[in-house]
Amino acid sequence: MALAAALRAPFGSRTEDGMLEASTKMEAFLREVETRAFRIAVVSTRDADEALDIVQDAMISLTRRYAHKSADEWRPLFYRILKNRIRDWQRRSIVRTRVMSFFGGQESDEYDPVAQAPGPRSDDPTDALERSDAMQALEQALGELPARQREAFMLRNFEGLDVAETAVAMGCSDGSVKTHYSRAVHRLRDMLGEHY
Amino acid sequence: MASDNVRTDREFEERTKLLFDESVGALDGETRSKLTQARYRALEELAPRRQAAWARALVPVGAAAVVATLTVMLWQGQSSPVDEAGFDVAAVSDLEILLSEEELDMIEELEFYAWLEEQVELTEGQIVEDGIG
Repeated sequence: MALAAALRAPFGSRTEDGMLEASTKMEAFLREVETRAFRIAVVSTRDADEALDIVQDAMISLTRRYAHKSADEWRPLFYRILKNRIRDWQRRSIVRTRVMSFFGGQESDEYDPVAQAPGPRSDDPTDALERSDAMQALEQALGELPARQREAFMLRNFEGLDVAETAVAMGCSDGSVKTHYSRAVHRLRDMLGEHY
Repeated sequence: MASDNVRTDREFEERTKLLFDESVGALDGETRSKLTQARYRALEELAPRRQAAWARALVPVGAAAVVATLTVMLWQGQSSPVDEAGFDVAAVSDLEILLSEEELDMIEELEFYAWLEEQVELTEGQIVEDGIG
């Protein structure tokens, strides 16, 4: 509450302590979510460089527009921004692919999402390979889900948001979140049966 | 059967969650470094606000300095005023005088003015010779 009050106060009346606390809390929050957000963006875009740009944009946008909000609200807001950035990227990607296809380009054929996605590491090569294969299979299966189901699954399962937070992040009702998530789980299980 | 299915779904969810967590933990140092830089870049959004507060405090001082400077300029400019377009008012006035019809009349009657000046000199010489002054 003190943090939100410090950020909402007029600039002239903000204390150095209040701003320092706000900056410290925001940094802690971003540090906590940045790697997970990056992996979610990688799963969604299958491009590490694009994912990095998307995460940076989302962090900047959160800090610029919502730093004055209560820290409890940051997580769903951040993932809502991240989701919107990913959607924007996907729209641009679709247009680019169609334009390239129209002009006879081969961009989609040259693209190898598995090669570009960073894989898990382990001290045990056998376990690492098994988990890496499983994660890659999961990422590919997620890529075949409708966007809303994929978002619901990643936010609920990967990021651990509850139904209400996921609803805020997705901009829909709690009921829609439950429906999308349930369908996502069942479709993934259908696709990944032999791996899981 | 239904309970078995629920349990299995839960296992599936736990497994996918574990795989994701492991993939996050396995991110390489270069990627983590880039994310750290991105974080600092985002936090810079908070820094300018503190600078803005500084700038606000300096506004009255800056305004007073501008007023003082303008006052000095206007005061000093009275001897050689400069108009809005930046022209030297005195120079423009000279030009107007040179191009005025009166001056052109003077040029046309130059012989008259030369004769007039000659008459003045002769008159002054006559006065000196007469011992006056």
